[in-house]
Amino acid sequence: MDYLTVAMAKGRTAERAMKFLEKSGVRFSEFTDQSRKLVIFDDAQKIKLIFVKAVDVPIYVENGAADVGIVGKDVMMEDPRDVYELLDLGIGRCKLAIAGFPDTPVENVPFLTVASKYPLVAKEYFDKKGIRTEMIKLNGSIELAPLIGLSDVIVDIVETGTTLKENGLVVLEEMADVSARLIVNKASYATKTEDIQQFIKDMKEGLEVRS
Amino acid sequence: MYSEILGNEHDKHEKIIGTLAKRFTTYGYKRIKTSAFEQYELYSNVRTSINQNEMIKVIDYTGEVLVLRPDVTIPLTQQLVQLNKSLPEELRYYYVQEVFRQTFQENERIGKTQAGVEFYCKSSPAADAETIMLACHALRDVGFSDVKIEIGYAGFFNELIADSDITANQTAELKRLIQAKNVVEIGPFLQQLSIDPAIKEVLEQLPLLYGSPEFVFERLKNLQVSESAQQAIDYLQQTCKIVGLYGLNKHIVIDLGLINHMGYYSGIIFQGYVENFGKPVLMGGRYDALSEEFGVKLPAIGFACEIESLVKASSDKELQERYSIDVTVLYEESRLKYAIDITNELRERDYRVISKPLSESTYATDSQYTIELTELQNKIADQEEVKEFSDFKQLLDLIISKKGVPEWTI
Repeated sequence: MDYLTVAMAKGRTAERAMKFLEKSGVRFSEFTDQSRKLVIFDDAQKIKLIFVKAVDVPIYVENGAADVGIVGKDVMMEDPRDVYELLDLGIGRCKLAIAGFPDTPVENVPFLTVASKYPLVAKEYFDKKGIRTEMIKLNGSIELAPLIGLSDVIVDIVETGTTLKENGLVVLEEMADVSARLIVNKASYATKTEDIQQFIKDMKEGLEVRS
Repeated sequence: MYSEILGNEHDKHEKIIGTLAKRFTTYGYKRIKTSAFEQYELYSNVRTSINQNEMIKVIDYTGEVLVLRPDVTIPLTQQLVQLNKSLPEELRYYYVQEVFRQTFQENERIGKTQAGVEFYCKSSPAADAETIMLACHALRDVGFSDVKIEIGYAGFFNELIADSDITANQTAELKRLIQAKNVVEIGPFLQQLSIDPAIKEVLEQLPLLYGSPEFVFERLKNLQVSESAQQAIDYLQQTCKIVGLYGLNKHIVIDLGLINHMGYYSGIIFQGYVENFGKPVLMGGRYDALSEEFGVKLPAIGFACEIESLVKASSDKELQERYSIDVTVLYEESRLKYAIDITNELRERDYRVISKPLSESTYATDSQYTIELTELQNKIADQEEVKEFSDFKQLLDLIISKKGVPEWTI
């Protein structure tokens, strides 16, 4: 039978998205916290969930390997893809920010070394401010970079700020709000319009119940 | 790559081309070819959606820069302009040719086979509807059941923002948001721009103007647009009405947010999708203004599809035949003359035939029939049985009774 393929990264956002759907009667009994399954179906066999790495979600969706994806805005900003971005799920809220030691200047300086998981977004942001930068792309533990002198500042997503604080760093400037988005493959939206609109409706209902 | 050369991909490729060519012919289109090399200048002077970095450049002995054919529409239009100073009643051409573009994606091949049509005619909803019908018809012929054609109007967006005082960067960002149907961010973004509030409202609605013609046109009624934008809507509506008369209603989707491949397009634009394939397999539209860049009015509409995409999209469809060869003739050296006679006669009748000496045939050939000619007897065998025959007429009767006349002889 025809089903909708939905790609998301395992974790808190995925669990909350599934809760939204449950409120609209779409259940995933197969899913448990400890499960290592990468592919699960809902009880009505209408939706196929696939779990992929967050940065890969837009790639799956752009190529049509998944019809729908749920992914953070930060990923879409760093790697824009030719997809529809139809809904802000309002979950996984955080900020993209410049952080570093207190009093590190990020205005009116000619040059900065920046460590980030988001080198393209960061570079564009500093370019607009007229600050030349050297980008160091890191894949994790970004907070370490200023501590050991690898960079002047970092650009990263900040949720509670706890990690920053424990390492003696502070937010120097907020860049953008980030939250989870629902993205859709353009071909799927044409060939499976009703299924996708129903899915979006189910998601929206879950969102409204929550708020 | 090897799978394409050794496997059945190529057969499928050829078969799809055959299917499309046949369909184009039934709509009155004649096949044409354009040169492999074109002047680079031709492309740098014309507004096109092809990125100049994607073109493969070649330098000839005089130092002039040429490009390896990146598309067919532009040189064809230029040639026609040189031949016709005004539009003859109509001209219909189709082509199947390789086009060359180097994209930034690795592993993507540079040469791709495009099959397309160009219909030079006065702009009219009837002509546009027929072209959309042909697009749909051709995709159905290839074997897709769930064909969707998304129809938009290239001039609509430009018409809307024509009188607004916004920068090129802002226009680009606005386009990006509309293309992504990003309803979340488009409202706040429009707030910052100095655009007439009535137009703002239309722009904000643009991503939502998507769906069946009834739905979209109903929604449009509640929006205020300029006179020229309204003309575009009327034209689109008339076209959709005729498309409906062709019986295509369930295959079409209106999308006024379709503004991604505008290039030289000016009126109706459309792209085709098929089931279980994540990219458009067909793109087209009306390009009345293109010929004007060469100084003549030669309005036209056309579309093209990429054969490689169609092959991929139809990967699970049974398009290829079971056998690539109909008859293999195996012979002992002393019967060579007779083997040649039989082979010739069968080929004359359009069967696909291979012949070789018995001593060299160490493995079974992938053919429907095997004929063995030895000193003692003449045999013909298929998967089920072996029969003897004494002369060519008897042989032919045996083959025709089972296989019939070759299907590709029409």
